[in-house]
Amino acid sequence: MSAATAFFSRTWVRWAVVGVIAVVLIVLPLIFDAPTNSTLARIGVFAVAVLGLNVVMGYTGQVSLGQIFFLGLGAYVTAYGVNEGWNIVLVFILAILLPAVVGLLVALAAARLGGLAIAMVTIALPIVGVPLAKRLSEFTGGSQGTSARFSSAPEWTGLYDDQWQLYVVIAIPAAVFVLTRNLVRGKFGRAFAIVKENEAVASSMGISPYRYKVLAFTIASAIGGVAGFLYMVVIQYTSPETLAFHHSITLLASMVIGGAASILGSLIGGAYYVLVPQLTNIIDPNLTAVLQGAILLLVLFILPGGIVSLPRLWRRSRGGRGLGSPVAAGAQTTGIATIEGTRASHAGDYASPVGSAPAVPPVTGPESGPTDKSPSPESPEKRQDT
Amino acid sequence: MGTFIQLVIDGLSTGSIYAALALAIVLVNQATGLINFAQGGMAVLSAYVAYQFLQWGLPLILAIIASVIVSFFLGAVIERFLMRRFERGDPDTAIVVTVGLLTLITGVCAWIWSYNNLLFPSLFPLDSIPILGASVSVRSIGTTLVILAIMVLLQVLFVGTKLGLALRAVAINPQSASYSGLPVGRLLMVGWGLAAILGAVAGALVAPSLTLTPGMMDGALVYALAAVILGGLSSPVGVVVAAWMIGVLENLAAVYVPFIGHDLKIAVPFVLIFVVLIVRPQGLFGRKVVVRV
Amino acid sequence: MSTLRKRMRATTIVAGVGVVALLVAGCARGGDEGGGSSEGPADASPGITDTEITLGITTPLSGATAGPGTCTVAGITAYFGARNAEGGIEFGDGKTRTVKINALDDGYDPQKAAANFEQLKGSVFAMTSGLGTPTNRSWREAATADEVPQVLIQTGDPIFSNQQESPWSLGFVPIYQNEGAAFGELLASSSGEHKVAILAQNDDYGEGYVEGFKEAIEGADNIEIVKELTYEATDTTVDAQLTELAGSGADVFFNAMSITPLVISSLQKAQQLNWLPSWFLPSNTSSPGAILEPGGASAFPGVYTVAFAQSASAPTFAESEEGATFLSDLAEYADYPDVPAFPHCVWSYQIGATLEQVFQKMTEPTRDDFMAQLRSISDFVAPLMLEGTAVDTTIDGDPAVSSVIVQKYNGKGYATAEDFG
Repeated sequence: MSAATAFFSRTWVRWAVVGVIAVVLIVLPLIFDAPTNSTLARIGVFAVAVLGLNVVMGYTGQVSLGQIFFLGLGAYVTAYGVNEGWNIVLVFILAILLPAVVGLLVALAAARLGGLAIAMVTIALPIVGVPLAKRLSEFTGGSQGTSARFSSAPEWTGLYDDQWQLYVVIAIPAAVFVLTRNLVRGKFGRAFAIVKENEAVASSMGISPYRYKVLAFTIASAIGGVAGFLYMVVIQYTSPETLAFHHSITLLASMVIGGAASILGSLIGGAYYVLVPQLTNIIDPNLTAVLQGAILLLVLFILPGGIVSLPRLWRRSRGGRGLGSPVAAGAQTTGIATIEGTRASHAGDYASPVGSAPAVPPVTGPESGPTDKSPSPESPEKRQDT
Repeated sequence: MGTFIQLVIDGLSTGSIYAALALAIVLVNQATGLINFAQGGMAVLSAYVAYQFLQWGLPLILAIIASVIVSFFLGAVIERFLMRRFERGDPDTAIVVTVGLLTLITGVCAWIWSYNNLLFPSLFPLDSIPILGASVSVRSIGTTLVILAIMVLLQVLFVGTKLGLALRAVAINPQSASYSGLPVGRLLMVGWGLAAILGAVAGALVAPSLTLTPGMMDGALVYALAAVILGGLSSPVGVVVAAWMIGVLENLAAVYVPFIGHDLKIAVPFVLIFVVLIVRPQGLFGRKVVVRV
Repeated sequence: MSTLRKRMRATTIVAGVGVVALLVAGCARGGDEGGGSSEGPADASPGITDTEITLGITTPLSGATAGPGTCTVAGITAYFGARNAEGGIEFGDGKTRTVKINALDDGYDPQKAAANFEQLKGSVFAMTSGLGTPTNRSWREAATADEVPQVLIQTGDPIFSNQQESPWSLGFVPIYQNEGAAFGELLASSSGEHKVAILAQNDDYGEGYVEGFKEAIEGADNIEIVKELTYEATDTTVDAQLTELAGSGADVFFNAMSITPLVISSLQKAQQLNWLPSWFLPSNTSSPGAILEPGGASAFPGVYTVAFAQSASAPTFAESEEGATFLSDLAEYADYPDVPAFPHCVWSYQIGATLEQVFQKMTEPTRDDFMAQLRSISDFVAPLMLEGTAVDTTIDGDPAVSSVIVQKYNGKGYATAEDFG
C-alpha cells in the first residue's frame, strides 16, 4: 500500500478528517453568498435522489427509471402537509413513508417478473404520475402546482433563509448518507451485491433475490421521498413538471457519471445534476443542449466508471498498482451484452446462452482482456464505497 | 360503429409511428446488444438532413435517398468512434452514453436548424379514402405499408441471410464470432448503419405529420420502448404488432372508458405490458432464454 | 503511539481548524443580502449604474417549448438593440443608459427557473419576459420576498397580476380567461343556434380558456356545449379526440391548443372526417403562415382567433413600416433571421417598448420606483399592436394587456371580426 493509503487508514486520522469536514460544513454556509448556498442546497437534494437510485440500481442491479416519481411524491406530500398546517416532523415522516409504501407495493408486484418488468413499471410511474398529478388537483394544485413556504429561518437562529435551508440540507442528507453507507457495507449490502451478480447463485446460497429486490426498491423509494421533502425545503414549489420522465433519465445519467454503486459517487452525481445546466448557461444559454450532451459524452469517454473512479485512473497513470483494467475501472458490474433483455446482470433471468458463470464466491482475479464479453469476477472490496 | 373503426384505424396509424422507431431499436439491439436511447434523435437528424437536401433543390425522393446514405455512414461512424468503447462494459453506462448522444444530437439540430417547426413534405398526398365507413388518410396507409415492408425485410434479414446471422453472432458472443473469422468491428458498424437507415426512413415518414423539430421523436420514444418490451427484443414482427396494439388500445380506452379519458390513456400500454409479462416474461414474440449457472 | 496521544492529536487538529473557522466566520456575511432589502431611497438597486441597466430573463431555450422561448428573448433583445444603437434610453432621472439583457435557459423546468432567479437576482435590475406558468410560479414568492420585479412575463395565469398575491409581479399577455371570454361573447351575441365542441390542453392554459369561454356564454340560450375533451401537451396526435368530437355534430370548434403540429394535424384531420365547423384558435397558435396554410384552413367556414398584436407571418406585415423595422431589428440585433412562427417574438418586442416607457418615467434608480412607474402606464399603444388595444397597467388584477380583438382569417391574414359568421 502506498504511503498515502497507510496514512489515511489510521483511526485518529479518520476521526480528524471527519471533524474537519464537520467544522467546514458548519462554517461555509455562513461565508458563502445566497446563490452559492442555494446551489449547494440543491446539490444536496439531488445527491440524495441519486443515492436512492444507486441503492436499487448501482448496488442491487435493478433498472429503475422512476426515481423522480418518488421524489415528486415526497415533494407533494410535503407541500400538502405543510399547507394543511401539520407538524413538520409528521410531514417529514409521511414524506418518507408514503413513497416507501408505494415503492413496496410496486416492487412486490414487479420484482417477481424479472428485469424488464421492473424497468417498464418504473418507466410507467412518472409517465402516469404526471397526468395523475394534474387530475388530483385538490391535493396537488393541478397543473399550476403548489407553493409551500415553510423553510424560512426561525427567529432564534439569526440566520438568513438560504443558510438555514443549507443547514437542513446538510444535516438530513448527512444522516441519510451515513445510514445508507452502513447499510451497503453490512450484510444487506453483500446480499444486494450477490443478487446483482447472479440471482441463481444468490438463491442457492439462501438469499432470496425477490426479498432483497423488494427491500432495495423500498429503501430507494424512501430515500427518494426524503429527497422530495428536501426539494420542498429548497425550492418551496412543486408541480407535475417535478416528476416528469426525462428527469429520471437525467438522474440515471448523473448516477453513472458520479459513479454507480458508490456513496461518494452519489454526491458527485447530485453535483453533476445541478451544476452542469448552470455551467452550460454561463457558457452559452442558447446552446445548453449541445454542451450538456458533449460534457456527458466527454466525461464518460475519459472515465467510463464515473468521476469517482478518477483516483484509480490517476494512480494507474502514475504507475502504481492499479486495481483492474481500464475497461472495468469503476465498472463494478458484469458486462454481458445480451440479446434478450437489456441487462443480463440486472435482470438475472436473461443471460448470454453461452456465457460463463461467475466464480462463487466472487474472487479477486485478473481482468479478462478487452475483447472478452464474459463477466469479470470482482471482489466486493473493489466496489467503490467511501 | 363508424367511430370504433375510425379509432382502430387511427390507432394503427399512430402505432406505425411507434413501430418505425421500435424496429430501429430492435435492429441495434440485435446487432450490438445495446438499447439505443438516441435512436429517435438519429432519426430526427436524418430527417433534417433530408430537409436540407430539399432546401438545396433536390426532389423529395432523392433527398430521402441521400439522407439514407448519409445516415448509414453516420450510424457506422457513431458506432466505431463513440459506442465501441462502451459496448463491452457496464450496460448502464452504455445506456447513459446513448442518452448523452441524444442530448447532443438534439442540441446540434437545434443549433443548425433552430427550434422552429419546419414543414416537411410527405411522400403521399393528403387525401383520404373511405374504408368501412371510416375515413382513412392515404398518408397513414402509406406509412403503415412502408413499416410492414421494413418489418418483413428485417425478419428476413435476421432469419434468412448470412449477414443477419453474422450480426446476431457478433452480438451474442463476439469472441467466438471473431474466432470463426467474422469481422466483428465491421459488422458492428454495419448493424448501426442499418439501424440508422431505418431511422432515416422512419423520420421521413413521420416528419410531415409531426412537423420537423429537434424533439420530434421524444414523445414516440417511450411508446417505442414499450412496444419493444411488449413485443420481445428479438422480434421485428412482435414489436410492430405490439406497437399497433398499443396505438389501438389507447384510443379505445380513452373513448370507451370515460374514467381513463384522454389524459390517463397513457397508462394502458403499461398495464398491457405488465399483464403480458406475467404470462410471458420474454414478451409476446420474444425468444425465451435459459440461464446457465 | 498510545491511544490517548492519538486522541489528543485528533482533538488538537480539529480544535485548530475550529479556531481558524471561527476567525473566518467572523467575516461571515452580514448586511443586507437575502431576506428583505433595506436600501435607503437614494441607494441604487442592483443591476443599474449611471450608464447601464441590466434585465434578466429565465425562459426555455431548449426542449419542447424552445421555439416560443427563444422568441421571448429575441424580441426584447431586438428592441433594445435598436435603442442602444441610437445611444440608449433617457431615463426620467436625466441619465441615458443602455440596456443589457442577461438570458438563461431553464428548459421549462421550475427547479432550474428558480435556480436561474437565484443566480440573477443580485446582478440584474428586474426580471422580465419569461415564458411558462410553472416556471414563473416557482420563483414568484421568492421574488416577492426578495423584492425583485417579475414583470411583463409571458403567461396568462391570473395570479401574477393580482397585486395582493404578487406585489412584485405583473403579467404581460392577457389572461387565458380573457381570451376565451372574448370569443364566447362574440358567439353569444350572434343569432342562430350553435353547438360547440371543445378540445383543450390539459393544464391551466386550456382550463383558463375554457373557463373564460363558459363564463361568457352563460345564460345564452342559443349556445350549447355538446362535447368537451382534453389532450396532453406531450401527445403525438389528437386524432382520437378529433374523431370523437366530429361525431358530436357541433358546428363550432373551440380549440385551446398550444402545440403547433397538433393544431395543423387537427385542421387536416377534421377535413378528412368531413367535419367543417367554424374554428376558434388561441392567440399563440394561429399564425397564418406556420399553421393555417399547412392545415388548409380555408376549407372551413371561418377560423377565428383573438389577438392584440399583428401576426408576423401575414403577408401584409413585412410590407408595413413597423413590421419591416421589427423584422430587420430581429435579424440585426437578435440573430433571428427568419420570419417568426410564434407570436412571442412580437410580444417580447412590445415588452421592450413598454419597459422603455417605464424607464422614461423613472426618477430614481431603484426597484421600488420602477414598480411604481410600471403601474402607471395607460393607453400606451406599443408598436405592432392592433387598433383598439393598448397597454394599461393601472388596473389591479389585469395584466399589462387585457384588451383583445376577435379576428377572422381571410385566406391570407386576419381581419377584425365584428360579428360571428
